[in-house]
Amino acid sequence: MAEQQLWIRPDKSTPPATILFVPPLFEEANRTRRTLVLAMRALAAQGFAGLLPDLPGQNESLVPLEDVDLARWQAALADVADAIDGPLIIASLRGGALIDHQAKAVAWWRLGPVGGASLLRTLMRARVAADREAGITSSLESLQEIAKAEPLLLAGNRLSPTMVAQLGSAEVQSIAPQRTVILGGGDAAIAGTPLWLRAEPGEDRAMAEAIAADIAAWSVACGIS
Amino acid sequence: MGTGIEGLCAFHAEEKTVTDTAPKASGVDATLRALLADILGLGEERAAALTADSGLFGELPEFDSMAVATVLTEMEDRLGIIIDDDEIDGEIFETYGNLLAFSQRKVAG
Repeated sequence: MAEQQLWIRPDKSTPPATILFVPPLFEEANRTRRTLVLAMRALAAQGFAGLLPDLPGQNESLVPLEDVDLARWQAALADVADAIDGPLIIASLRGGALIDHQAKAVAWWRLGPVGGASLLRTLMRARVAADREAGITSSLESLQEIAKAEPLLLAGNRLSPTMVAQLGSAEVQSIAPQRTVILGGGDAAIAGTPLWLRAEPGEDRAMAEAIAADIAAWSVACGIS
Repeated sequence: MGTGIEGLCAFHAEEKTVTDTAPKASGVDATLRALLADILGLGEERAAALTADSGLFGELPEFDSMAVATVLTEMEDRLGIIIDDDEIDGEIFETYGNLLAFSQRKVAG
C-alpha cells in the first residue's frame, strides 16, 4: 500500500539532490514534525527537494502498527529511495537511524541517533507509570514476558512480538559516507533543543535552519552541487 | 555508534556561532533542571525557579506518564546511572526536592 509523502520542492530548476528525511519513531515523530518541515522549506530555498514519507503504521498510514516491524520499515524506505530520480541524501533523526541503511543513497546524515533498546525502555516505562496510576502493578520484566507471545500496547502503540524483539536489539548501523551530529556545540553538533523529548510538541526555527545548513554543507562535501 | 564524520566526503563546515544549551556537568542539580526543562518545555527561567517543594507529577500538566518515562531514561543517560523498576514509587515524582534527593543518592551509588 502506498503511503503519504510530503514533498517540498524548490520553485525552479532541477534540484542538485533530494533529501529524504527519515522521521524519529512513534511519538517522537509528532514532536519533531513541524521543525523537520521548517528544515525542508529552508533546504528548498537553497534549491534542494525534500521528502518526508509516512512509514507504514505511522502518521496518516492506514496500516495497523501491529502489522509492522523494523524490517518492514527498512524495506519501505528502500522502495521510497528507489523511486527517486537523481542524487539522494538520507537524513535520519533519532530512531530513524535504525532503519535508514537498506535504502540506496549518495550519503547519509544522522541527528541524535539512538539505540532501539533505549526507545523500548522509555515506552515500557510509560506503560508501567500509566498502570501505576490505574492501580495496576506491572514491571519491565512482566511486560517483556507478555511481549514474547502477544502484541503489547505501549503509550498508544500496539507493538507485535517481532517489533518488540527487533527494537530491543536494534543498533545504529555504520554506513558510508555518513555524518552524525548531536545537539550542542562543536564541529559535529548543531545548536538546538531535543524537541523529540518534549511532552508538548514545539518547534524551533533556528534549529531547523541549522539542520538545513548542515545538510547543505554535507551535500557539497559529498560532491553534490 | 559513530560520531563525527565517516566516509569519503571532506566536510568543511562554515564558522557558525553555537549556543550550547546542553547541560554542563556541574552537578546533579543543574543536570536535572536542564533535563526537566528539555522534557517539560519549562524554559530556563521556570527550570531555575524550581525549589525543593515545587510539585511535579500531578502539579505540572505536562508531567504525564510518558514524561515520567522520558525523565527516567534521560536521567540514566545524563547522570550515568541505572534505575530499577522497584526503586520507583509515586513519591519520587511528587516534588523537585524528592527527585533531586533520589538522583543524588543514585549518583553517589
